[in-house]
Amino acid sequence: MSSALDWLQFVLAPQMVNGLSIGVAVVLMALGLTIIFGLLDVINMAHGEFYAIGAYGAVALIGLGMSFWWALALTPLLMAVLGYVTERGLIQRVFHSKDRHTLTLLLTFGVGIVLEDVLKIVFGANPLRVEAPITGATELVGLFFPNYRLFVMAVGGLLIVAVWVLVFRTSLGAIVRAAAFDRYMSASLGVPISRVYAATFAFGVALAGISGVLLAPIYSVFPTMGRDFVLIAFSVVIIGGMGSIKGAVLAGLLLTQVQSISSLFISPVWNDPLLFGIMVLVLMWRPQGLYGKLGNA
Amino acid sequence: MLELRDVHSHYGLSHVLQGIHLRVEPGEVVGLFGRNGVGKTTVIKTIAGWVQPTRGEIVFESRILSTMSADQVSRLGIGLVPEDRRIFPGLTVEENLRLGFMQAPGVGRAEQKRKLEKIYQRFGRLAERRDQMGTTLSGGEQQMLAFARVLTGAPKLLLIDEPTEGLAPMIVEELFTLMRELVDEGISIVLVEQNVHAALELTDRFYLVERGQITFSGDAAEAASCAELVERISV
Repeated sequence: MSSALDWLQFVLAPQMVNGLSIGVAVVLMALGLTIIFGLLDVINMAHGEFYAIGAYGAVALIGLGMSFWWALALTPLLMAVLGYVTERGLIQRVFHSKDRHTLTLLLTFGVGIVLEDVLKIVFGANPLRVEAPITGATELVGLFFPNYRLFVMAVGGLLIVAVWVLVFRTSLGAIVRAAAFDRYMSASLGVPISRVYAATFAFGVALAGISGVLLAPIYSVFPTMGRDFVLIAFSVVIIGGMGSIKGAVLAGLLLTQVQSISSLFISPVWNDPLLFGIMVLVLMWRPQGLYGKLGNA
Repeated sequence: MLELRDVHSHYGLSHVLQGIHLRVEPGEVVGLFGRNGVGKTTVIKTIAGWVQPTRGEIVFESRILSTMSADQVSRLGIGLVPEDRRIFPGLTVEENLRLGFMQAPGVGRAEQKRKLEKIYQRFGRLAERRDQMGTTLSGGEQQMLAFARVLTGAPKLLLIDEPTEGLAPMIVEELFTLMRELVDEGISIVLVEQNVHAALELTDRFYLVERGQITFSGDAAEAASCAELVERISV
């Protein structure tokens, strides 16, 4: 009996906490993807690279002598500008085309490749490190948890709540939800659709940027760092329901827990097949995912 | 106030509007009649900016609308009550109404509150259901919401497409009373309506649309007294 309790306390609980700290960052990234898809109907294939740019943004700003905290505050703002320019300058140009789904998919895929190469040219291919701004550990129920991971969970949790409040409890959010459901009718009520699209894309990119900064001290920073991470985020969005905020949160936390806990029993090489296997099953039996479109919560 | 000069519109290869000429004077109610699928709704959508005309000109108060987006058109004071109401799912009655304020940006919070209270006084049932999801209302209430939503923006011209479709006679009567009140308040209306008898009582003039063209236009009062004409424009 006591060995089972020990296992729960000393093996399972730390693993779940680790999964949770990664989970909130995955959710932030998936929220950006799902909001962009829910409103613009665009699958942003460059989302992983925006995440990587967020991490490199932190590297660059810290390299300029700023503290991690300034980097955490400034990077999302810079990312939002980058997102806004990308939407207005590139996506809007093909958005009204008859083949826009294919065109935006290929366009963002191309943008991702360009951004990844730019990162290689500017920062080199070798992994860089960002020092955690908070060190040490805190004892909770007899276990020690790294303070920085607890910080990531707290900030990520607050940001997720803030996104939910923004989308579902403000007039700005009502505009975005209305535009997601019916852009023609929204426009006829005076909603400046193209600016709402650009601002929402910018917001999604900023969320990817925040994830990049938050996870930079946990993982190494390298040009292709977004690839694996964005695949997890895509699975989360598909399983949660493309365009659903509630779905992204639930699926993000659930999937990262499945990954964390399963690695106690099976080799970590099975993590990805397990994750994508779940995604395939969901696509086969519930293609709409757990929840519906943006606005349905 | 509004003039369409030789307006053509296409849906892909389909040439839907084939040279529409139409005029609306300030304070006037103009009816658009004709069978289903002849292009009446496309006329409304083209004026509203949902469909870009491929040829011709749309002029509203000396401004060319033809190249404007739908949001720009709405901010000039052209409101739309669309076919099928198009109430936003997931938004409460009040959120639907507040969206209407986007038609007239720059209105302060106090003014918005005052306008909203005025709307609620006019549409009592919406006031009772302000926190309810808009799509959970009955058909008649949703139509009232569609009218109320556009009225928060204080439009000068209303484009109203099939407002009575599928509604009970009592609600239809209420809607015509509402439209008469709006006309009395000085709002001009372009009305697409299948119930020609009732519509002729409200309209000043009418246009008959056939195969994307205006084939006949006339005075509503004269038409109402001519059974043969009423039969021709009725469907």
